[in-house]
Amino acid sequence: MHTKQFLSPADVARELDISTSTVLRLIHSGDLPAIAVSARIYRIPTASFEMYKAGTLTRPTTAPLGGSKARPEIGRGERLPAAAHRPLARAR
Amino acid sequence: MATIGELRQHLGTLSSILWNYGGTFAVPTLDRYDQGDIGFSFAAELPGGSEPKPPLIELTEVWTPERRGRFRLVEYAYEFVDYPLARRQAFHRHDPERFSREFGVVVHEHCEEILGQPACDHYYGLPMDAYEAIERFLSSWGQPTPLGCAGLRCMGEAA
Repeated sequence: MHTKQFLSPADVARELDISTSTVLRLIHSGDLPAIAVSARIYRIPTASFEMYKAGTLTRPTTAPLGGSKARPEIGRGERLPAAAHRPLARAR
Repeated sequence: MATIGELRQHLGTLSSILWNYGGTFAVPTLDRYDQGDIGFSFAAELPGGSEPKPPLIELTEVWTPERRGRFRLVEYAYEFVDYPLARRQAFHRHDPERFSREFGVVVHEHCEEILGQPACDHYYGLPMDAYEAIERFLSSWGQPTPLGCAGLRCMGEAA
């Protein structure tokens, strides 16, 4: 069991006894979930790695239909910004 | 534009992505709202500490009916609050007429390097889909580097 939140590709390679480039291939193919913290640096969430090892990563399924609900109030409580300038419609 | 079947697949894909990153959540459903609109709203807790709460991603979309059984995305809110790091990112589309009239754009962002202490209430942003939003959120999840709010342009400021 890992205590770190994220693992490096090298950590995963060591544990699976494969090369780092193979780990990167797994990441690029989408078989191993990872986050790109920069253009070239990846981190594998420990939870994702545990699921990968256990074979419990899921493939997309079709979401069920729900019932009638109240429409979400998106932006509720936000103070909308005041315009910095008005459109030119009133310009003479 | 999407059919109900495509939207169910879309929501199922979003669920599987968050599940595979260790997210915990109740299975989301595609729901019906008034005036024929449909959509979903659900929140997933991510691993990474529980003080004061686990990191939270919340995805909300509202789709309105168009022709031939297809729906168009009219509002969304993609939210990520990394509670252990006390910061927030969000991508919103709501009140489109108001934002379009006042600022010439229909979307905006929220960005808080310190949760609850935004340097600006709304930032200009680009239209985003849920997959891009999740990718952006995950790239900052648990990382010590700043979100980069200072590089965004504040709405309501003189140019």
